[in-house]
Amino acid sequence: MVVRQYNEELKYLEKINPYCWRIKKGFQPNMNVEGVFYVNNTLEKLMLDELRNSCRPGMTGGFLPGVKQIANVAALPGIVGRSVGLPDVHSGYGFAIGNMAAFDMSDPKSIVSPGGVGFDINCGVRLLRTNLHEKDVQPIKEQLAQSLFDHIPVGVGSKGIIPMNARDMEEALEMGMDWSLREGYAWAEDKEHCEEYGRMLNADPSKVSLRAKKRGLPQLGTLGAGNHYAEIQVVDEIYDKYAAGKMGLERVGQVCVMIHSGSRGFGHQVATDALVQMEKAMKRDNIETNDRQLACARINSVEGQDYLKSMAAAANFAWVNRSSMTFLTRQAFAKQFKMAPDDLDMHVIYDVSHNVAKIEEHVVDGKVKTLLVHRKGSTRAFPPHHPLIPVDYQLTGQPVLIGGTMGTCSYVLTGTHQGMTETFGSTCHGAGRALSRAKSRRNIDYKDVLVKLESMGISIRVASPKLVMEESPESYKNVTDVVNTCHAAGISKKTVKLRPIAVIKG
Amino acid sequence: MFKLKLTALGHPNPESFNCEDEKEYRSVVLWLEDQKIRHYKIEEREGLRNIDGDNWKEAYDIYQRDLVSPATEGQPNEQLNWLLSYAVRLEYADNVDKYKNAKIEQPKQAAPNVVSTNPLDNLDFSSPAFKAGVERVSALTGVGPHPDPKYRLAAIAKILKTSPHIDVAKTEANIIQQPADVLKLLFVQDLRDLQTKINEALVAVQAVTADPRTDTKLGRVGR
Repeated sequence: MVVRQYNEELKYLEKINPYCWRIKKGFQPNMNVEGVFYVNNTLEKLMLDELRNSCRPGMTGGFLPGVKQIANVAALPGIVGRSVGLPDVHSGYGFAIGNMAAFDMSDPKSIVSPGGVGFDINCGVRLLRTNLHEKDVQPIKEQLAQSLFDHIPVGVGSKGIIPMNARDMEEALEMGMDWSLREGYAWAEDKEHCEEYGRMLNADPSKVSLRAKKRGLPQLGTLGAGNHYAEIQVVDEIYDKYAAGKMGLERVGQVCVMIHSGSRGFGHQVATDALVQMEKAMKRDNIETNDRQLACARINSVEGQDYLKSMAAAANFAWVNRSSMTFLTRQAFAKQFKMAPDDLDMHVIYDVSHNVAKIEEHVVDGKVKTLLVHRKGSTRAFPPHHPLIPVDYQLTGQPVLIGGTMGTCSYVLTGTHQGMTETFGSTCHGAGRALSRAKSRRNIDYKDVLVKLESMGISIRVASPKLVMEESPESYKNVTDVVNTCHAAGISKKTVKLRPIAVIKG
Repeated sequence: MFKLKLTALGHPNPESFNCEDEKEYRSVVLWLEDQKIRHYKIEEREGLRNIDGDNWKEAYDIYQRDLVSPATEGQPNEQLNWLLSYAVRLEYADNVDKYKNAKIEQPKQAAPNVVSTNPLDNLDFSSPAFKAGVERVSALTGVGPHPDPKYRLAAIAKILKTSPHIDVAKTEANIIQQPADVLKLLFVQDLRDLQTKINEALVAVQAVTADPRTDTKLGRVGR
């Protein structure tokens, strides 16, 4: 890593408009393309402070600052366009979380990197609507929260209540949501409103280690821990009436359920296994990167292909997982309201993936190119009339679900044409951490967090209260800042704001 | 061909009638005029009666024009079809009382009668309230009059499903943009129909395969 004074570093950064900064070549060695990041004034300060801290003498070890990570990704072989940092960007393993990068499939040197996908493969957000109003739910909020907590197992080491054997698991890995459909855990319309229709076709369970399968099997249908949650939310504000209407969100106070979860231990094991393989491949193919954590392999190499196939299986696992939790949520609501989920209009509005790599077609310098798009902590946001988005959203653009932190609000955005050209149809994914987990634990008391949520009228059920401060709103960037930056920069458009009334957490 | 209509009119051999045979065709036309239509006086039917003559075709053309047939320009089978329908109409008008009470025998229903809970299925289409409602919506959408309100409702549905609702000013950009938008909307509509059919197929398969189960004994909350 190049060591320079903070003032020297700043020479490589240029503010090109109020919401966008450019990272010039030379900021890190061997950059093939420039970097770019989207911030408003508040987020800009966080970003630059992080860089300044890392320039102080004696600051070694730990994660590199986000800006440096974006620039290191720009130095990877085969990258096209720009390495993009979204407003919620923060340091992660290799790639920053909130970083997207696209690699040219036709270039034999192009790489795929597990660090560019993340350990929780196909972590994502799903939003269900209901036809209930806040006033229907308020009186039985506590019971409903408890019922959800009873139905959806949460926390580290939790086990699911949907009976599955090893054969079911193999089929689920290959079929994704089609498995849930076949077994009757999902509705036909759920598939229609899910990214990739809930199934990556190149999944190959035979490329997944036995260890990953063993970890994954009992965890199917569980929420997990960390930043994952299920929330009962109400519509707080509607910015785009037409688009909201297309999603079935008609009025303020309407009740929704948001599920934020991923592929649990299964995805983590798939990523860990791949990293080991890739270190070997890098030595063999002489691939050099600026950071050891950016382990990668050529897309066309055996290791690259095996990773993509096992990653797809993990993605399918995550969709089955979210579908199973959707089923359990519907059951919990049906029991509380003594009505069929159908009659409660509990349809899936959309299901986004914000940790995944996908093969997509984009226009680069006026030419159509097939790219491998890595989105880590970044959500796909395709514009109106894009062929890969559901027919119901052809006129509005793809819904983008942005989960806030515990106790803060969440947003629904839609994709735009500007986002398609500037960021390969990508936008932010959530609030993004501001404090590390360790720092949160040191500085914040978990009792304060719980009391504060209670005072805001939010029912909460947690498996491990002592870890709740890691997820306190103070540990994160302000999600409203993040979303407003995306809206102002034009890479996606605000549609609806949601506010939580009950939270289930690991 | 025309077996049903000929039978209804009491033609002696409806089974074997061949429309393509010139001679049979002519004799059926004559039979129709003689027995059913009786538009001419008996002495005026000479032209049609001369079945083997070369002038028959002319006489037939004049006959059709005298009947004000809309099919004079059509194919011979179309012309005959109209004549037959016309004859049936006259036959019915002569004996309204007899035919009015005719009942079609209902085929036995295999499926049980399903009582629908959908309020739309229980609408009374002959009620004055329904007629008045259709009248109001027709006025709003500019659908013309028709004696059957259900027919008008179908027309309204078609308009609402397919036509763009907003009038946009005609600028140069719009001249290209508007048709493009219309095509996009029609495409989206087709796509929706297709997706609905896919969903229906999935649901049909689910009826066979689905058996969702849960077992709370397996569940374990983590720490």
